[in-house]
Amino acid sequence: MTRFRLENSRLLEVTLQNERVMTRAGSMVAYDGQMKFEKAILGGEGLFGALKRRVGGEGFDLMTTSGTGRVYVAQNAAEILLVPLQNDRIFIESSSVLAFDHGMRSNTVFAGLRGASSGQGLFTTSIEGTGNVAAISDGTAIALEVTQSEPLFVDPDAFIGYTGNVRQEFVFDVNWKTLVGRSSGESYQLKFTGGGIVYIQPSERR
Amino acid sequence: MIFNARNLPSNDNVNPYAFCVDVAGEMFIQKGKMIAYYGALRFESLSAGPYGALVKESFNSPLYANDFVVVTGQGRLILGDRGNNIASYDLKEGNLTVRGANVLGFEPSLVCQESTVPGYLTLLGTGKFLASSNGAVHFLEPPVRVDEDALLGWADMPSPSYRYDYGYMRGMFGMVRSMIGGRSSGEEKQLDFTGQGTVLIQSSEMGLVGSTALDDVLARTGSLQQNELQQLLSHINQRLQQS
Repeated sequence: MTRFRLENSRLLEVTLQNERVMTRAGSMVAYDGQMKFEKAILGGEGLFGALKRRVGGEGFDLMTTSGTGRVYVAQNAAEILLVPLQNDRIFIESSSVLAFDHGMRSNTVFAGLRGASSGQGLFTTSIEGTGNVAAISDGTAIALEVTQSEPLFVDPDAFIGYTGNVRQEFVFDVNWKTLVGRSSGESYQLKFTGGGIVYIQPSERR
Repeated sequence: MIFNARNLPSNDNVNPYAFCVDVAGEMFIQKGKMIAYYGALRFESLSAGPYGALVKESFNSPLYANDFVVVTGQGRLILGDRGNNIASYDLKEGNLTVRGANVLGFEPSLVCQESTVPGYLTLLGTGKFLASSNGAVHFLEPPVRVDEDALLGWADMPSPSYRYDYGYMRGMFGMVRSMIGGRSSGEEKQLDFTGQGTVLIQSSEMGLVGSTALDDVLARTGSLQQNELQQLLSHINQRLQQS
């Protein structure tokens, strides 16, 4: 498991020992040691995976960083959320992904029907395996628990991702469209039920 | 720290950029600032039938009526504003004037009126309200002069007036201004506060990060036709030349 450490809340340090890590393209700010940065042409998901991403509009611009040393990763001074996974899976918006262990598998999954006005497409990204996932968050991210008795409602623009056995529904509400989302914004809200953790950012996605 | 409906802070900050409100009854919130909630909450337009009396009592600002909604029910509501700092303010038989765009929500025990200073809302009475700022808020005592871009609001004191540097004034008289292009330090105009009270400033000369109006316009350009885009372009050029 590659070592991820937050140098501060906005800067991620990844230590590599002849290893590889997937990072958002262009997110490297500094490194020492021997490092090689390569564009991950198919996002490490093969031809079919890349095709699904293109079709799903769940764009994913990644690079593979390999070598020995330390690499520092950041994105627009956004806060960074670290989620360690033990043989688990996280569903995450591709626009929030900053870095994850090379050994983990990423995939595009159908997330259900979303409003056409949302730029987030009909798909979301899953990353599974054992390792760390680093996500960017506009403002400090908040982890919210979902239980069967306590469903959670989230603004799609604030949504980052979720872990656990959570069911995601799209609630279309006339009031929602006209009142809560911005006039041009979302025509639905996300409802989470089941058991797990939902991560949100205190901001609308820009 | 993993939060749930029981351990979320009660009417307090979750972190500097997010605030959790215990809703029990009614509250006014700015549109689009809800990021998540637990419980049974409803969001209604101010024009919705049952809120006539509430609006009559508490919301006296036609200019901002479309920017606010009433949230009702029982639940825990988390508000966020583009990663800007959020703070809660308690008023006791007081009055506080805040930049309108920064008012995120207020209890109906307060009365919201438009300030005579354009772009500002005055809250009167007793109750809580929430406001966002770019960076943390600082409190100053008059007499003080403040950069307009850093001003968040003022409490229990007369409205400010503009104060210009003498050099700037002289430039105006001598037509020097037009010759040097009207540019100087950029600090020649301040807001002058006098009397008793408190002035609130944010630790930045930026407005709130991002603009709702701009976001709305940009989001809508996607559906525009070629000739409509041309119209928009010429309109923008016209506006730019005027200013």
